[in-house]
Amino acid sequence: MVVRVSGRREAVIRLLLLVAITAAFLLPLAWTALASLGVLPDNSSRPPSWRGRATLDHFSEIVVAEPAFWQELATSTLAALVAACVTVAVSFPAAFALARSRFPGNRTLTQAFLVLASLPAMAYVIPLSDLSRRVHLIDTLAGVTISEAAVTAPLAVFVLHGSLSRLSTEWEEAAVIDGAGLVRILGRVVLPIAFPSVAATLLVMFVLDWNLLLVPLVLTSGEVKTIPVALSDFFTFERELDWPTAAAALMVSLAPLALLVGLFHQALESFALRAPGGPDIG
Amino acid sequence: MLLAPLAILLGGWLLVPALVGLAATLTTYSPLSTTFAFVGGQNYSRVIADPQFGVAVRNIVIFTLVAVPLELSLGFLIAYLLRRPIWGRSWWRILLLLPWLVSPIASGVMWHYLLAGATGIANFALGWLGGPEIASPIGDVHLALPATIAVEVWRVTPFVTFLLLPGMTAIPQERWEQAMLAGAPLHRRLLDVAIPDMLPLLLTVGMLLVGLSLGAFDTVLILTGGGPGTATLTPALYSYDRAFVTNDWPIGAASAWLIAAAVGLVGAVYVQLSRRWSSA
Repeated sequence: MVVRVSGRREAVIRLLLLVAITAAFLLPLAWTALASLGVLPDNSSRPPSWRGRATLDHFSEIVVAEPAFWQELATSTLAALVAACVTVAVSFPAAFALARSRFPGNRTLTQAFLVLASLPAMAYVIPLSDLSRRVHLIDTLAGVTISEAAVTAPLAVFVLHGSLSRLSTEWEEAAVIDGAGLVRILGRVVLPIAFPSVAATLLVMFVLDWNLLLVPLVLTSGEVKTIPVALSDFFTFERELDWPTAAAALMVSLAPLALLVGLFHQALESFALRAPGGPDIG
Repeated sequence: MLLAPLAILLGGWLLVPALVGLAATLTTYSPLSTTFAFVGGQNYSRVIADPQFGVAVRNIVIFTLVAVPLELSLGFLIAYLLRRPIWGRSWWRILLLLPWLVSPIASGVMWHYLLAGATGIANFALGWLGGPEIASPIGDVHLALPATIAVEVWRVTPFVTFLLLPGMTAIPQERWEQAMLAGAPLHRRLLDVAIPDMLPLLLTVGMLLVGLSLGAFDTVLILTGGGPGTATLTPALYSYDRAFVTNDWPIGAASAWLIAAAVGLVGAVYVQLSRRWSSA
């Protein structure tokens, strides 16, 4: 009885804390959203007030400040989408192979993928840009896409390995007895069972690819620009960009991700990092 | 055979460039020059001797030591709050993930204006309290680094919560109830129930966060550009600047390899620790 009462009180406290924390984390975004509508704080008046009427004009001003904005949005979408698919397509079979084979050092190899995933982009982009120039992949959408796929692959392997190594193998074994080939087992047996975590990985990879800066930045001299590269231009070249327009551009570049996460939040719940050898979770 | 596509992708776009780059750092190689000579470790000794690089290392050590524990503990606490079904849990999860969806560079742009006096949040709040107007902390030598860290913590903490939540919900409810019946206060429940179960996961997330911090680049580039002076200079900014702005390619590549070496060292510690903790 005591436990139940204090449990209920704790639930209320928990909810209140959640509201406060969520508000604190979202306040900067709300501030930006207001600015994109032209509603700005007037900090010089006492007490501070708001000025400006809500308008959608700043969204149309994005194109004035950055004429290629919509094209860059399309580039970002295409590059991130293809890169995420390529990443998952090559990581899935590899993670399966790692999860089912038992050779010494298997575990360390899996952990090496996590270390590789933690490696900052700066560590390898300098020679990457040079080599891409030499094989004429610089300033091409293909070059940017493949490179994005490569840098996010280690994390995908680690995550997919975690979920595949905990799947029951009885269906696979049944398929082997039925004489199914490897490709068939992967496509028809393993993929459907592992689908939730594959979909979640795909979504997270899309977000990561969409937000990459250094990799696309060093692989382009302006022909193929993603949104983050365009944003960095504004500041490195000291171009004038007023805050409401910048805020509108930020909102537009955040919207697709927010929409995806909102639509597929249930799939995201199966995204779990599982430490090799750690306890079963999720 | 199943590993072949991955091997091609990683080999061609990650490992070969990295190794070719490593070999190149022992020479005076630069894409712009036609000849180059072998110089051994000279590029590395030049980087290490550069006082600017020393400042960058000091900054990134502070950055990592403050940001990573903050991100982990805040993310852990929020995951604890979301652990049990609660009214509107999936909504809280989506809303709390939003800051991570903002790209590091967009976060830099956003906070550049949010911290500024005229459009900022702090001055708006201070105005209500009757306080004086303050200048943006990113222009202040002493406040720029803490402000940069705070911006990064804002963006990364939601991701940590997202990664820790599956581990938190997997802890059986009885374990919490037992601890509660035993009258354990909240902090003891967290330390004795949650931490031991989640140690491997915390270690894994910690590894990712350390790597992320040691390579801090995007947000800092926009927010402060490493300034004022060198107050927020990071090794990644240093290396980018040498390779692509001042065209001192060998120095840029060598300093980038030092970042990789640091992450490699942390990675070795990670492998050792996770071996020990899972066998214990």
